[in-house]
Amino acid sequence: MAKDPEHVHMEHDHMTIPKYLGVFAVLVVGTILTYWVATIDLDFIFPGANTLVALLIAFTKMACVMLFFMHVYWSPKLIWLAVVASFFWMAIMFAFTMADYFTRATGVFTT
Amino acid sequence: MSAHASDKFVYHEPGLQHQFEDMKQQEESVSIGMWLFLAQEIMFFGGLFTAYLVYRSRYPMAFAAASNHLDAFWGGLNTLVLIVSSLTMALTVYYAQKSNRNMQVIMIILTMIFGAVFLGVKGIEYTDKYHHGLVPMAGLNQRVKADKNAHHETEKPCWEVDRNAPPAVHPNPRGEFLWTDCSLAKLAQDENILTPSERFGYYSGGQIDIEKFKGIVRIFYYLYFVMTGLHALHMIIGLGLMTWLLWTAWKGNYNSEYYMPVEMSGLYWHFVDIVWIFLFPLLYLLGRHFNH
Repeated sequence: MAKDPEHVHMEHDHMTIPKYLGVFAVLVVGTILTYWVATIDLDFIFPGANTLVALLIAFTKMACVMLFFMHVYWSPKLIWLAVVASFFWMAIMFAFTMADYFTRATGVFTT
Repeated sequence: MSAHASDKFVYHEPGLQHQFEDMKQQEESVSIGMWLFLAQEIMFFGGLFTAYLVYRSRYPMAFAAASNHLDAFWGGLNTLVLIVSSLTMALTVYYAQKSNRNMQVIMIILTMIFGAVFLGVKGIEYTDKYHHGLVPMAGLNQRVKADKNAHHETEKPCWEVDRNAPPAVHPNPRGEFLWTDCSLAKLAQDENILTPSERFGYYSGGQIDIEKFKGIVRIFYYLYFVMTGLHALHMIIGLGLMTWLLWTAWKGNYNSEYYMPVEMSGLYWHFVDIVWIFLFPLLYLLGRHFNH
């Protein structure tokens, strides 16, 4: 039976222009928030809290771009696997590298 | 209708390559290929982020001091410029899916304009670093002759330098990397928050040693130039990709049946945007809260 040409390609009618503009607004607000929060001293929570907040905002922005601009949200499981695996590998790289550096004695290859 | 007859007259989409069964299979294969490429790009930038993580966790104060000499206004502006370009890129894909050739062309041109603005701002920033002796390689900074008649101020110890003062142009006859301010190291010493590496890495003879501090500030600037430089290279490649896309979209190659080249170029463009989303807070916004 001949295939119906209307249904053979991936569906792509999930995003509309208002939705794109909504994601865009979130990204702009995130950028301004990052800038503003960096000028506030959050060290009273714990030292380095500023960095944690900055990274949380950056991850949120990244999630918005990936899920909606890059259409990962509507992608097959295989694409999700590639995305998650790449971050998992990067986490392994960070974890194993720091496991080494954090356990060195002071003065042993410190530079 | 026999199977043979339908084989002879099987429907064949114009954009379908011979090796694929149908458009869905072709689209999934193209997507997974692009995503695996992006996965290796994540690892590629991840190596640099690892280097950054190692040094920053050891010498947070030198990194904060160095970061305060980057212009967060230009960095923030560039973040917004890239986000707008990501929006226009997403809309390019949207209009390709709607088979709207004219809007595709307009959106690609807008994306290219914003990409070019980003590179222009980057050029302004790099020029600024060149003028202020912040390029971490000797000889690559602006050479400024020492003025013999100038009134010489008595040299202040490095921890009394005002870190909020705007960067000045100092005599630099050999175009070397210049750094005179260790006030953040002093602040960390007074508040007793120096890391073990910092206690070892900033001092000689019990005193803060500006040369040792400068060496670590310099590492920050190496990372800054390599990371933003590599990112800028990706932008330039992206602009090349956009030029090709503009040409093919102009010819009307893309429609709701066949738009994968637009979608894949979009993935690349958004990836480059995501890298900047991380570079901006990690490079430009460290230790801003120390400046009151």
